[in-house]
Amino acid sequence: MSAAPLAAAAARARTLPAPALLATLAVLVAAAAVAGLTAGRALAPADVWQVLRGGGDATARHVLLQLRLPRALVAAGAGAALGLAGTVLQAALRNPLAGPEVTGVTPGAVLGAVTATGLGLAGWEHPAAVVAAACAGGFAGAALLWALAGRERSDPARTAVHGVLTSAVLSGLTAVVLLVAPGELGSVVQWLVGSTEGRVWTHWQLLWPWALAWAIAAWLLAGPLTLLRCGEEQAAAAGLATGRARAAALVCAVALTAGAVPAVGALGFVGLLVPHLAFALFGADLRTALPGAALLGAAAVGWADAAAQWLSRLAAGALDADRLTVPTGAVTTGVGALLLLAVAHRGRGLDP
Amino acid sequence: MTTAPTDQTASGTPQAPPGGGIRTEGLCFGYPGRPVLRGVDLTVRPGELLALVGLNGCGKSTLLRLCAGLLKPTAGRVLLDGDPVAGLSRRATARRIALLHQSAPAVPGMTVRQLVRQGRYAVRGPLGMLREADDPVCARAMADAGVAHWAERPVDALSGGERQRVRLAMVLAQDTRVLLLDEPTTYLDLRHQLEVLSTVVRLRAERDLTVVMVLHDIGHAARFADRIVALRDGRLVADGPPDEVVTPRLLAEALGVVGRVGRDPEGGWPVCYPDHPLPDPPGIEDDNHFH
Repeated sequence: MSAAPLAAAAARARTLPAPALLATLAVLVAAAAVAGLTAGRALAPADVWQVLRGGGDATARHVLLQLRLPRALVAAGAGAALGLAGTVLQAALRNPLAGPEVTGVTPGAVLGAVTATGLGLAGWEHPAAVVAAACAGGFAGAALLWALAGRERSDPARTAVHGVLTSAVLSGLTAVVLLVAPGELGSVVQWLVGSTEGRVWTHWQLLWPWALAWAIAAWLLAGPLTLLRCGEEQAAAAGLATGRARAAALVCAVALTAGAVPAVGALGFVGLLVPHLAFALFGADLRTALPGAALLGAAAVGWADAAAQWLSRLAAGALDADRLTVPTGAVTTGVGALLLLAVAHRGRGLDP
Repeated sequence: MTTAPTDQTASGTPQAPPGGGIRTEGLCFGYPGRPVLRGVDLTVRPGELLALVGLNGCGKSTLLRLCAGLLKPTAGRVLLDGDPVAGLSRRATARRIALLHQSAPAVPGMTVRQLVRQGRYAVRGPLGMLREADDPVCARAMADAGVAHWAERPVDALSGGERQRVRLAMVLAQDTRVLLLDEPTTYLDLRHQLEVLSTVVRLRAERDLTVVMVLHDIGHAARFADRIVALRDGRLVADGPPDEVVTPRLLAEALGVVGRVGRDPEGGWPVCYPDHPLPDPPGIEDDNHFH
């Protein structure tokens, strides 16, 4: 994949006014939801249309309204939370390689969820307990980074190094938990890869109030975050208490991630790459880049969910294996790796 | 004597608050085993244009940072119009004193207008920055720094010299009575150096600003400053108007060079003719002999 067309497209899009861009992205999110609703195996698009018009048989209604709709909403909501979390992290740490995945936040949340599941305290069937465990894990991961980085906290590069270390340690601990309690291995693998399978209304009801509240908090930090991106010293001289602003931003990012992980697991690359797209499209104005990142994240995970369902259907047909499913996390990781290569080649995209 | 309005006047043009005097008392700063400032007593009068000169590492930038409250002194204190800076919040300090750093990272894609607007943070606060208000102070700051015609251009696409002027505009947008400039002429060619310095001189006169700037060019200091203060190894070694302090002795003691001093035939200000470095330049190496 070449980076040049991407950069050119971003440059063209940047000439659009921000509200038009946001509206376009909202349409993309809606289209992703429609794709997600119609992509699965059990229902043909015609059946979906029937149900939406108030018809359809009981099974079709159940599949669409109790399975596919919450799944599509959870995908969009979790994607928005991850996109926002990544953007807040990159701005606060002034680091283009920061993301919830590499700052100990996502691995911590996964460790929390896996441990709680391994101890039998929580599981996919007890979403509330998983949210609590993931939050505790996410904050513990961030706290570990905070402690490890020590006095070098204000140095973005050092913080990034410590973030990778923290993430590696937490992933290792997760592996230990899985080895100790292998009975849960099957269901727990979903945390590690990231999946939107089997999401129901309970997941959505736990996700949206939390994500919305923290999204608003993150948006209210747009002013301090923009100033933080201008550099520690310049921000402090302009009147920003940089330590406090960064701490508030980190709490927002951790909370958003910890809300998304119990819903969809550790979806790779969303929190790392969505910010790059958001900054490329909206420029440095976080008042529009933050809502833009939320919509981009929602669209990215929404389309990944739809693509995963299509791929599952294709794979099931080709291999004649009815139970085969492609996890959404595999799609985001695959596409994300290619995009990261493009961003890295673009060079300039790696400046803070 | 009338009290100047501290808020907005009827025309909507904010005015800098009155005052602008800085005083340091026994100011010390350093890291374990490496003192940077060793007891600096300096009084900057309101409306003064003061140039700080000295070798690299003599503590000039540290002194500016301490005055702006960005560093905590290990001993002594800084008073801003009589108020200890240590007791002011970050925002309260930034409403009264602005500091231009030597350099700062450029934010990809941030336009000149957006960067200059960041200078309003101290006045508008975190939530005020969310509102898109037409800010006359930003427009004036961009005009003053001569960057208004680049307003919509991304800062990272500008040259080093152009960026420096944009950052000057950001600092001017803070609309403070005190301006601290750390090497404002770095990266600039001679023409732009003079442009920035004459802008500073003009604004100082128009708005009665107090300006303290670190300059490496003793010629610029002699030409533009009311008063020159030289630092060496964290102590004041000279303090006075250019006519009095710019001497071969200053060149040797504070700047480590041998040179001659003449007069500008038309303006009458001192002109330096540096010749060669002193064989054993007073440097950071002999720091520890002092205590």
